[in-house]
Amino acid sequence: MKALDIIHDANANLLRNKMRSFLTILAIFIGSFVIILSSGINAGVNDFVDKQMNSVGGDGYLEMMNTAASEQVMQMFSQEVKEYNEPNKDENTDFFITEKQLEEARKIDGVKSVDAFKSASVEYIKLKDGDKRYKLNLNLVPRGNLDMDLSAGRKADPDAKEYEIIIPQNLAKSLGFDNPEDAIDKTVQIGVPGTIACYTAIKRADCITLLDAKVVGIQAPGIMAMGGSRANLSLWNKINEINNEGMPAENNSATQATADVDPEKVDEIKEKLKDIGLTAMSVEDEVGQIKTFFDAVLAVLTIFGGIALLAAAIGIINTLLMSVQERTREIGLDKALGMSNFRVFLNFALEAIMLGFWGSVFGIAVSVGIGQAINVFTHNGILKDLPTFTLVIFTPQNLITITLIIMLIALIAGVLPARKASKKDPIDALRYE
Amino acid sequence: MTNQTLLSTHGLRKSYGKRDAKFEALRGINLEIKQGESVAIVGKSGSGKSTLMHLLALLDRPTKGEIHLNGENTSKLRQRKLNHLRNKEFGFVFQSFFMNANDSVLNNVILPLKIDGVGRRERKQRAMHALKIVGLETKAKNKAKDLSGGQKQRVCIARAIVNNPKVIFADEPTGNLDSATGAKIEDILFNLNQEHGITLIVVTHDQELADKCQRQIHIADGHVASDKEGALIEDDKATREIEVYEEEPDEEEGDEEYHEDDDDDEENEEIIDRFLDDENADSDGDGFIDNNTQPHITHVKSKGSK
Ligand SMILES: Nc1ncnc2c1ncn2[C@@H]1O[C@H](COP(=O)(O)OP(=O)(O)OP(=O)(O)O)[C@@H](O)[C@H]1O
Ligand SMILES: [Mg+2]
Repeated sequence: MKALDIIHDANANLLRNKMRSFLTILAIFIGSFVIILSSGINAGVNDFVDKQMNSVGGDGYLEMMNTAASEQVMQMFSQEVKEYNEPNKDENTDFFITEKQLEEARKIDGVKSVDAFKSASVEYIKLKDGDKRYKLNLNLVPRGNLDMDLSAGRKADPDAKEYEIIIPQNLAKSLGFDNPEDAIDKTVQIGVPGTIACYTAIKRADCITLLDAKVVGIQAPGIMAMGGSRANLSLWNKINEINNEGMPAENNSATQATADVDPEKVDEIKEKLKDIGLTAMSVEDEVGQIKTFFDAVLAVLTIFGGIALLAAAIGIINTLLMSVQERTREIGLDKALGMSNFRVFLNFALEAIMLGFWGSVFGIAVSVGIGQAINVFTHNGILKDLPTFTLVIFTPQNLITITLIIMLIALIAGVLPARKASKKDPIDALRYE
Repeated sequence: MTNQTLLSTHGLRKSYGKRDAKFEALRGINLEIKQGESVAIVGKSGSGKSTLMHLLALLDRPTKGEIHLNGENTSKLRQRKLNHLRNKEFGFVFQSFFMNANDSVLNNVILPLKIDGVGRRERKQRAMHALKIVGLETKAKNKAKDLSGGQKQRVCIARAIVNNPKVIFADEPTGNLDSATGAKIEDILFNLNQEHGITLIVVTHDQELADKCQRQIHIADGHVASDKEGALIEDDKATREIEVYEEEPDEEEGDEEYHEDDDDDEENEEIIDRFLDDENADSDGDGFIDNNTQPHITHVKSKGSK
């Protein structure tokens, strides 16, 4: 008996009891649909994260805070009660990063440069010759090999004397530049408050200094855009200076630092930084937080899919056991005419596999359809600002792998009924009424 | 015909059920069937004829005793070889037909060829040819369940001969047929037997059919009541009658060998030659057919099927 015959017969036998086969396939379909869709989302998230990592690079870029400060930040979101351990006398328990810590950090093997930066607060941004003001979220442009994923212009020069700024694409659009290219080299004004001045000012506007800065780059939508606009060091320092006018100098120290390090040694450098009281985060860590969220959701989905498949597998066993019972005489005849036990086993095992196959084929068809709809929906909705983020991605390898796994599960479910069929004695089976 | 022993049984017993419900259907059968013989098995209903046929065709295993095929103890045969025998060497017509009722007549006849792995076109040709022999080629597309009793019986005969078997076991092959159709089936069977040396073992209540056979074995209560050469066959052999009503099942009666005939006549040589030319005869290479000088039914094969 040839392979094609066996496959043809398996399908023909499934068609003999259409309703029963359909319901069994439906059960498999539900499980496979959930699993295929969650694997599609998983692929989408991974693809996005990878794209971000590739476009941002950032392999050797670390952002650091004093550990005490980052613990305080963490504490804000935690209800955990912690026992108090008295710190060493020379341990830095402040928000500030000390000069000594920076010195030690620079000495770590693999660290190329460390930039400490003080706090800088800004009020708004507007075009030099425009009126519309927008709230501004400003960060420092990073040094090193961190690629900013710009849609136009260049990365701001951290060491340039001129005030340079990179703004996100959607801010550029709001400022009136539909085409990102048009915003390059335009001058914007940043409203910077003076802390002391604002205590005494009658109107808020009276304590705001306007600083001219040149737009040198436009940030493409993506994870980096979540950091807002980016100033170069001289702009940043100028803002800090305006903020702190008239304040005692010791209240104005660095709270954050960035480091450009050897990408190969990121992990060990992070450990060493911890020893000197600095908590460091790489871009990967930050992107990882998004991934962790999706991973948790997908794990739950996959478990549901798995449970559905398990139930479907029991359905397969049930269906085939009924089928074996009904076809007892037929099995007896096959064996009396010289069909081997293994072939009888194969016939039923293949029926199980075909059930799994059709279940996952329908699962794929529906998942791909629904995945496409989800993508259209999210592109116009919640993921509007992240056009590179395709939430559901199906790759042929993924679909084939899942189909094979489901067929394997079906095969395992088919073993018991198929064995039962293959063990039948021909004469007994022929006598079966 | 040849003088070689094809099948022999030694103290064959078969019991069904256990303890109180135990029933001994066969109680020590010793007999010997030679290649090319036509044998009728007769006896009252429930005497164990079907049981014996199933055992001889190796469809069932005896409770006790041995069946030798070409001198080889069949209890030691591997499953693979058993399957080969059932599929290619034996053709079986079951007393209660056994067909896949919802399948077409053609597919029912094709089944042994399909199990054998014969290609689609060839198996269809051969099945159509077998149907033509039993006069049912026009019913090929009908569902098996839609046939009359006699037609079903003929489909079963077509199925039994489609694989060019060397032995045909037929359990009541004419039981449901009118005398004209029955005679036609008898013609087919005896043609296969006489022209092509196929061994024919028939269970029948029809004395006319039994008389056409070379031998009649009478089964009563699980014993061989009588075993005699058929009267209607003109033969130089004397009609023998062996009373084998014995209580000791293990005592082997089959030791007696039938060597008295046979000068190798020309026809026989020819058949052997034809067999030796046939490469298909031992497809699985287990060597079984090589020492078996059974002929092949060439007329059942359609032209160009090879
Ligand atoms: N599977 C079985 N279980 C129990 N008893 C059985 C079984 N098969 C056959 N028998 C019994 O064995 C005896 C012989 O049965 P068998 O079918 O061989 O009879 P038979 O000679 O073919 O009869 P008939 O001419 O009616 O076909 C019967 O009494 C029958 O009831
Ligand atoms: Mg019977």
